[in-house]
Amino acid sequence: MLAYVIRRLGILFLILFGSSFILYNLAAISGDPIGELRFSDDPGAAQAIIDLTRQLSLDVPPPLRYFIWLKGVVGIFWGKADFGLTRDSLSVATEIGNAIPVSIRLVFVATFVAIVIGIAIGIASALRQYSRFDYSMTFFAFLLFSLPIFWVAVLLKQYMAIQFNNFLSEPKIPFGWLLTLSSLTAVFWASVLTRSRGKFWMTFSTVFISTAVLIKTLETLEWFTNPRLGPIAVFIFSIVIAFAVTHLSVGLSNRTALNSSLTMSVFTLGWYFAIQPIFNSQISLLQILGLGVVVILVATITALFFSRIDRGPLIRTTVLTALLSAFLIVVDKYMRTWSSYMSEDAVNYRPVPTFGQSKPLLPQEDYWIRTLDILVHLLLPTIALTLISLAGYVRFSRGTLLEVLNQDYIRTARAKGLTERTVIMRHAFRNTLIPLTTILVADVVGIIGGAIITERVFGWYGMGTLFNRAISTVDLNLLMGVFFITATLAVLANLIADLLYSALDPRIRAGSGK
Amino acid sequence: MKKGNKLRVGLVALASVGLVAGILAPAQGARNTIVFHETNPLTGFNTGQKNMNLTANTAVSYMSGIGFGYFDDKGIYIDNTIFGTQTASGSGSKFKIKYTVAPGRVFSDGTPITAANLLFSHVTRSNAYAIAAGLGDPKSATASAFDAAGYSSVWDLFVSGDPVLSSDKMSMTVSFKGKFADWKLYAPGASAVHAMVHIADGKTSLQPVAANVDATADFEKAFFDKDTAFLKKLATVYNTAYKITTVTASTNPLLFVGNGGYIVTGAVDKQSVTMKKNTRYNSGPAFKGDIDTVVFRYITDGTAASQALSNGELDVYQGQVTADALAALKKISSVKVVGTGAAIYEHFDTRLGKNSNDPKQPEYEGPFAAKFGAKSKALRQAFLMCVPRQEIVDKLIKPFEPSATVLGSTFTLPGSDIYDSVVRSNGSKFYSGTQEQLNQRARALIKKFAPEVTVAKPLKIKIQVPGNNERRANQFALAKANMAKCGFDLVGDVQAAWSPRIGFTEYDAVFFAYVQGSNAQAGSAANFKLGGANNRMGVNIPELTALMDSLSTPMSRTVLAQKFISAERIIHDQGITVGVFQHPQVTAVNKDLSGIKPAVYSPTLVWNWWEWSY
Repeated sequence: MLAYVIRRLGILFLILFGSSFILYNLAAISGDPIGELRFSDDPGAAQAIIDLTRQLSLDVPPPLRYFIWLKGVVGIFWGKADFGLTRDSLSVATEIGNAIPVSIRLVFVATFVAIVIGIAIGIASALRQYSRFDYSMTFFAFLLFSLPIFWVAVLLKQYMAIQFNNFLSEPKIPFGWLLTLSSLTAVFWASVLTRSRGKFWMTFSTVFISTAVLIKTLETLEWFTNPRLGPIAVFIFSIVIAFAVTHLSVGLSNRTALNSSLTMSVFTLGWYFAIQPIFNSQISLLQILGLGVVVILVATITALFFSRIDRGPLIRTTVLTALLSAFLIVVDKYMRTWSSYMSEDAVNYRPVPTFGQSKPLLPQEDYWIRTLDILVHLLLPTIALTLISLAGYVRFSRGTLLEVLNQDYIRTARAKGLTERTVIMRHAFRNTLIPLTTILVADVVGIIGGAIITERVFGWYGMGTLFNRAISTVDLNLLMGVFFITATLAVLANLIADLLYSALDPRIRAGSGK
Repeated sequence: MKKGNKLRVGLVALASVGLVAGILAPAQGARNTIVFHETNPLTGFNTGQKNMNLTANTAVSYMSGIGFGYFDDKGIYIDNTIFGTQTASGSGSKFKIKYTVAPGRVFSDGTPITAANLLFSHVTRSNAYAIAAGLGDPKSATASAFDAAGYSSVWDLFVSGDPVLSSDKMSMTVSFKGKFADWKLYAPGASAVHAMVHIADGKTSLQPVAANVDATADFEKAFFDKDTAFLKKLATVYNTAYKITTVTASTNPLLFVGNGGYIVTGAVDKQSVTMKKNTRYNSGPAFKGDIDTVVFRYITDGTAASQALSNGELDVYQGQVTADALAALKKISSVKVVGTGAAIYEHFDTRLGKNSNDPKQPEYEGPFAAKFGAKSKALRQAFLMCVPRQEIVDKLIKPFEPSATVLGSTFTLPGSDIYDSVVRSNGSKFYSGTQEQLNQRARALIKKFAPEVTVAKPLKIKIQVPGNNERRANQFALAKANMAKCGFDLVGDVQAAWSPRIGFTEYDAVFFAYVQGSNAQAGSAANFKLGGANNRMGVNIPELTALMDSLSTPMSRTVLAQKFISAERIIHDQGITVGVFQHPQVTAVNKDLSGIKPAVYSPTLVWNWWEWSY
């Protein structure tokens, strides 16, 4: 095993060396770093060309210059890595250090959401293979997959930022929109929940009417300018969560688990009132995470109190219910912050922004307003990225689950008389996740590489923008810096994925197959 | 009712009234913030430093400091007598300029401005001073301790000796080797040297005025004593302290002491810079409006910026947009669109010979070579006539800028005070007329001087086409089509890295754009004089070189226009170059905002910050 890892690391260095050498030379002959200065009538241009030539060693031919760069980078082994300077004489290491967190912030949420929703939809459509739902999900997955992100971004900005902000100035929903929104929701839920035609129309009409009534009620209550959940809604949602989580993890027949989860819903109601003064005082992210740990502890103790046998699944169910319910309280707090956020001078009643990471003039004292600002800035890029990356996960999880469902052990499990829920969730779903981990590792590492177009259209300055800037200004050190980080991570991700695969699947052993 | 109860009822009533009043009161006061769009993010706050002279940096530093004068939107230099005066005396080697600061001018921290604050720019501009003070030779490999971009420039070429301060310390007199063109442009600015001294001493907060005056005196002493150690300490501050892109409440406020109208108070790396009004500002024109905060936000993507504008996130947007984007901008009801040309002009050049700056290139033997005399001259003229300039402007530029015209000059641009008078008599008429007429005249010229060339047997002309650019590809296609009618077979060589290849003698002709950095007299001189840095087409005409050299002496705008006319007559007669169009640029401004007057030259949008108002 160790020998295998060492051999792989050796190959990694060879790949990095070869690819960086080729890229360096290709990039060097592709453009002229001082081209722009040649056309300047600025009297200082001649001196600037001399300075830049000296700073970037432009008088050395590229194949040799590569080794000057390599010498700096190899310093990484004795802790003195030197990635050189950009054309603007800024440190490449600092630039990359600033850009990585931006890229992570931008792509992390989108990747996470895409994974969760993608797998959920994929599994739902696999279970209803060749149904109307399956076909329409396949259709939408491919449709979204084929959309160019800059176009999606422009549409999102037009309708979800500019028009939505206009709507917020007078939140009245036109009749046509009411019908469209309600019927779309109804079609979705009816296709997910039902299989026969009669039940479909039944569910459709129920969801349609309730959605329309809900939207109209929210409108009359001016909920769109002053949104909130309130203790009652939080409690009701929490009960729904308790039922749903119990159903999916251990089954509703497990009364102990249900009771334990429902106890957490009651606790949630209590927490709701207890937490408000804490939320309203000076609070930090660390404290909120601390409160989350408290919730986990309480849930674990409660579960232990209820359980007699088979503690593991019970604790898991209770903790999940408790965390999701507690999350609702946080969502409620953000909703309550919404109207004061809108009335800030810097926001000026147009809360959804089209670009950037935060509003520069917003007061930074209030934790909730500050973080809400970050969240609304994340909204559009996250939706755009999620939409286009959803398809991959939907198709992949659908295909894998279908393949697993045809395996002998699933037939055996059914033959044993296990419930359909146990067969799907415990035997099929878990095995579906094994091949998914490999693409997950690659995707999560890909986050660091940034998203060139998304960053550009949303005015984020992450790794993608850095890469783009490096190419367009022929900034070799910067280009190589970005390349070095992303290439190293990509090669490492491959290694990790292989090792993970062998750890998860006992049938495969790393390094055995030569 | 008890007294206490009455009080309580009263308080409750008052609170209710307050609540109602709060609800009824308008949610927002008069707006006093301007949010500007910039394409590329800020890289530092010291624009005197090498590689820091970017648009984003310049805009911020322009607003935080004001000196003896500025350029207006017509490119005319305006004296700022509120700050002080510059008076020239003597001529020849006796030429002197006396810079006098008006009494009572203060920095944003209340420190009075004296002529001692003018000394610093000499340290970062004079090679001789740098060597004498032991800072190093800017031209050698050791370089000066100050990482300044100003060395080896106009100031350094003409200055002689060190400045002298008057006894009241309010004026500084500098001697020069001779009178030089645009001398007013090179006036030193007021540097807050006391702040640099304090930073060098490790101070991290604003100091009392008395301490600041002492610090300025310390610098003055070190300047005249050429105190190497003291100056090197300042150099460290100058080189490193301002190279930041994040500014928070804990950032050293000494970095942002200035005498301009706005002072930097915050910055987020690659995202924004926030400037607040300098309440002590008295160094220039009085504020007309009540703009309290100016924010620069950085968006690379043009579409993103125009959508941000329509979402009310920006107040001013400037960029080179596509025709669709322009149409979208015009539809935004809260915005007015002001079209301005950028200071970039496209032109077609013919090759006369070998680029004298590039001895490695082989000799030019093509049909346009100057050594072939009258025949090559006629071919050059015919070639430039057959560039379908009107068609290019109509098809490629008018969609953006309906008032766009074919350029008639390469020394001045439309909007300049002398453009019209130059174009009237600079010989550009030789190349005007309908394209049909021009083609006919070109054919006549070819028939007379090069009868072997016909439309059926065209002359092959190799031209470099700058790659990765749709507009240039279209330009080439239009030119090729029309050239065929004249008897030229235009062979395009598309190059992505085209700029270093312009001087290559394998090309008979090239087309690209020059950026006109300023309205300075000698601006385009380097393009046409023998040995000029930008003379890549081998122009070697003694008369033209002499004219170009004469541009470095000061003269009135009328005389300058005469010089341009004489030079362009030669250029047009010899068929060296013709201008095609000025690159279009669009400025869109929040409708309620007044006083934004885009200028062609840097600092394009912010030159008149005192005039902005809602």
